[in-house]
Amino acid sequence: MKICLALITWAMSSACGQDWRSAIPGWQYQFPRDHHHHPEFKIEWWYFTGNLFDQTGRRFGFELTFFREGVIPPSQRMPGRSRFIVDDLKFAHFTITDANARRFQFIQKTNRGTFAEAGFDRGGNIAWIENWSLKLNSAGEFRLSATTGKANLELTMVPESAPVIHGTDGVSVKGSGENHASHYYSFPRLMTQGAIQTAGHPFNVTGLSWFDHEWATNQLAPNQVGWNWLCVQFANRTELMLYQMRLDNGTIDPASSGTFIDSNGKATHLTSQNFAMTPVARWKSEKTGADYPVEWRIEIPSRELTFTVRPILRDQELALAPLTYWEGAIDAIGNVRENEIRGAGYLELTGYAGSLGEPTR
Amino acid sequence: MNPFRFFHWQVLRYIAQHRLLSLLNILSVAVGVAVFLAIQLANGSARQAFTATIDIVAGKSQLQISAPGNDLPDELFPTVQKMPGITAATPLVRGLVTLPDFPGEYLDLLGIDVFSNAPFRTFELTNFSANAFNLTQWLGAGDVIAVTESFAARHNLHRGSSLRTQVNGHEHTVRVGFVMNGSLLHEGDARFAAMDIGWAQELLGMRNVLSSIQLQIDPTSDRERVMQHLRAIMPADTEVGAPAQRSEQVDKMLASFQLNLTAMSLVSLFVGAFLIFNTISASVVRRRREIGILRSLGVSGTQIGTIFLTEAMMAAVIGTLFGLVFGNILARSLIGAVSETISSLYVLVSVHHVATNWASYVGAAALGCVSALVAALGPARMAALMSPVAALHPEIASEKDDTISWFWLTLAGAAVAAAAICSVFAVRTGPAWLGFLAALFCLGSASGLAPFVVTGLLRAIRFALRGRLAAEIAALNLRRSLGRNSVTIAALASAVAMAVGVGVMIFSFRQTVNRWVDQILVADLFVTPASNEIAGPSSFLPGDVIGFFRSHPAVAAVDTFREIELPFRGDRIVLAAIRAEGPRNFVFLQNHEGELMRRFRTERCVIISESFARRYHLHAGEPLEIATPTGKVALPILAIFYDYTRDQGVVFMSEENFVRLFQDDRIHSIGVYLKAGANPETVSNDFRKHINGQGEFAIYANRALRARVFEVFDQTFAVTYVLRVIAVAVAISGIFLSFMTLIIERSRTLGVMRALGTSAKQIRSIVVWESILVGLASSVLGVVSGLALSLILTFVVNRAFFGWTIQMQLPWSMLALTPLWILACAIFAALVPAARAGRLNLAAALRSE
Repeated sequence: MKICLALITWAMSSACGQDWRSAIPGWQYQFPRDHHHHPEFKIEWWYFTGNLFDQTGRRFGFELTFFREGVIPPSQRMPGRSRFIVDDLKFAHFTITDANARRFQFIQKTNRGTFAEAGFDRGGNIAWIENWSLKLNSAGEFRLSATTGKANLELTMVPESAPVIHGTDGVSVKGSGENHASHYYSFPRLMTQGAIQTAGHPFNVTGLSWFDHEWATNQLAPNQVGWNWLCVQFANRTELMLYQMRLDNGTIDPASSGTFIDSNGKATHLTSQNFAMTPVARWKSEKTGADYPVEWRIEIPSRELTFTVRPILRDQELALAPLTYWEGAIDAIGNVRENEIRGAGYLELTGYAGSLGEPTR
Repeated sequence: MNPFRFFHWQVLRYIAQHRLLSLLNILSVAVGVAVFLAIQLANGSARQAFTATIDIVAGKSQLQISAPGNDLPDELFPTVQKMPGITAATPLVRGLVTLPDFPGEYLDLLGIDVFSNAPFRTFELTNFSANAFNLTQWLGAGDVIAVTESFAARHNLHRGSSLRTQVNGHEHTVRVGFVMNGSLLHEGDARFAAMDIGWAQELLGMRNVLSSIQLQIDPTSDRERVMQHLRAIMPADTEVGAPAQRSEQVDKMLASFQLNLTAMSLVSLFVGAFLIFNTISASVVRRRREIGILRSLGVSGTQIGTIFLTEAMMAAVIGTLFGLVFGNILARSLIGAVSETISSLYVLVSVHHVATNWASYVGAAALGCVSALVAALGPARMAALMSPVAALHPEIASEKDDTISWFWLTLAGAAVAAAAICSVFAVRTGPAWLGFLAALFCLGSASGLAPFVVTGLLRAIRFALRGRLAAEIAALNLRRSLGRNSVTIAALASAVAMAVGVGVMIFSFRQTVNRWVDQILVADLFVTPASNEIAGPSSFLPGDVIGFFRSHPAVAAVDTFREIELPFRGDRIVLAAIRAEGPRNFVFLQNHEGELMRRFRTERCVIISESFARRYHLHAGEPLEIATPTGKVALPILAIFYDYTRDQGVVFMSEENFVRLFQDDRIHSIGVYLKAGANPETVSNDFRKHINGQGEFAIYANRALRARVFEVFDQTFAVTYVLRVIAVAVAISGIFLSFMTLIIERSRTLGVMRALGTSAKQIRSIVVWESILVGLASSVLGVVSGLALSLILTFVVNRAFFGWTIQMQLPWSMLALTPLWILACAIFAALVPAARAGRLNLAAALRSE
């Protein structure tokens, strides 16, 4: 459940729905095929987040996401036209949270990919923009790399389990009404190691990452204004992903859902009836004025799981144009069947700095 | 004496008593200032509009890579982008599209990359209703463009409105989806539109090429080094430089044209100054008694002089204020003509509003006041030096006027010599503005000769009109106040000389062009994409159009024409490529047309126009180094030819050479020669059927194109005609003014004549005769000095500024008519004063006897 959803509402104003393929039930996932791009769908992203530590225990959070937004449907792309014509818009976000230094850095890259300096392919390069890239080797390991003037990242990630498919029958429903859904899978536990560099200092790091890959065409409903999303990797080797779609009347869309993954890698779909998310503390951004619920109390009665999530740094806001959102590393602490449980993960809050649909209204 | 009271009595009261005179003085200054200001404003506005265009296109870039003639291969972009020292780079595609729904309108379409041009952009793009930008629509919809708010408002366009456009002879319909907002867009009148670069490449037929690359450089890196590195990797025909360089090139190109207009505008001021001289002199003569009394009462000479200077300054200041207002209004009506001329002869520019340039206002105001002051200095000095005795006995003083001053003759002789020297230097060594100095000396010498011409003429007339009492008395009267009448005559003669000089020059020029056109415009049909009509050579003819004519049974031959711009010695020059299959001839300076044409077609060479040769000091046989995409190439100059299309000159090469050097076979227009007996109308109808609405082409038959050539020619001189008329109008109002003063001055004499039995009718007749004599003297002097001026304009100014050879031709009918209409004006101007003289109050007039 990611930021790129916002673009769907934009797309609705211009693209003809029938030119793009919709996410409908029955998708047969195949890997590594589905790690690569799906140009017949309008929106797609590869989303990596993780919590990393160096040898001294210094903690870092990171996000590196590659977005693809289809501009021209494949059926209308003509070979031999101007190379400047953009078939797919490519952009990416990169953040590093340095918990000790209490510093959050974020950068956005956008590129039309005219001279193949950005793109997607079916070989070892899944996605790249200039010197930011996502690669997949034959052993099934992901290599993530991003270099900027101020922060660098070079990570290798080994999946600890098979990919988890969210939703039911191959689709993750995002709203009531037809076709408001996406194809969505995750690697919830990637053993990660590599190097990061921030504020001029290199760190060798290890830790756990989460990888989401999602593609769709028009999943967001017109009355949805944003969402709250989180993922947690618990110490007991279980994982959880939850999202709430928020409606313009202040309520939560009943189509909101989640996935619980047990220690054997078995995924269970959670409907909005199966869980409760209650904000417990807020943080107001000085930069944008957005008021984010950054601490939450989560209850999943069927699993007897209750816990609280808290950001490792309150200011993890990506104040970007055209969309501002909050995405940051979190800690989780609570109980499962009366046993204390701890975990770490990422929280995403969108639509708090203006509705996501606003640009077209 | 209280200086205030003194001023009130001596200046204000006098002005109040002579309202009409004062009004004419004010008017003459006002017209001079207005014309000068209007030309300055029109020139400045054109310049500002062009600079704003550059600022909008180049945005905040510090360096620009462009290939004026050929387009840049777009694959160079990533290399440039990664060069050390460059912090930002953005590609740009630019082209002109015309709009068949709005005849004469065009859009300067910028294909921009919204991702890389953010640091450069000087305008914002938004959707119409919201303050937002739909990126997907911008990138994805191939037919969506952004227009400026003013353009949308002017043509009542809304979001989603369709707009038919024409590029390269083909029609495309685009939709208006976005608006461009920015202060520069309001400042300039440029008709910009924007589109995503990829779609713009498709629309403009510029796939794989760019118009320019805009760059920002690291402030710590050496700019020159960065430029050197760039030049090393760029094709030789590219320009690497600051965007303002283009502005400088255009300034240079327009300098002659604008200076000419300025010079013309000064003539009105010149004539105005004469009038001021005239009135103040009259005022001095008329107030001799007063001066005498004041001097006797102890008022110093300086104070007397100050009275007259103040009088002139009053007129100057009020006239200047009016002039500034009129100038602004006049600029509005001139601006269209100025910008059209610049667009058809030099560079496409769109000017709709007058740019406020305070320096022009200050300059015009200063010029107005200073010229009036200078004009008044002489008479004021005369008043200051007048002895009380002479002042109180006017008879003594006016007798003095009767003698011819040898001083003026010497001055006239010196002016002639100076004009000759300036002419020689203007042509031989430069600077070119010496030509104007020569023209000024020429007018000056005419003024100096005025007393002689008048004396001679009066003698002749008295002889010729013996027995006609009124005429003889009139001639005597004129002679009596020769000094000041000479000034009137000189003023009118200057205006006539200007009218005649410019008229003869334009006539000669037109005749020369006419003969030249006869020799070079020999094809029967000319075909070009319709958009080139409006926007200059920017669209190319599709290949099948040429194919159609080549295969048409009635066609004997097809000439093709292509022109590009190239960097050359810091300027941009025009290189034209021509396939001359037909009998079209260049007119060479060296003759041998047939042989030279044969060599031009077959050899690796270029031919250059006369203006080009003069501008760059080149001669036949020398090599000309030109930049081509594959490097610099030196080609021998085969010959120099006459050309009157552009004052910057032009280089021609054969199409074959061009295609080989530039790897580009696109063409802008064709000339079609028909077989004997074929009807051009039939062939163009066949062509229209063939294209069947698939594109818009301008098809000219030979005669129509000639008419178009002269339309442009006349348009070029439109402003000149206006200035000429204004100068003459000022001069005629001067005659009117002079006669009014003459009558008032001579009321005593006329009163005596009435008392001695001269009838009112006879008095009227005398006054009209005087006017006829002034008109006659001015015409003779004006036509003669006008002819001399035309020699300077034709052989010095034109040659020095534009490098053209013009064959002198005399417009006999104009020369014959000039004295006639001057006489008519003179008679008309004398009617009111004559009536006044006839109604003279005898008692008042004779009071002093």
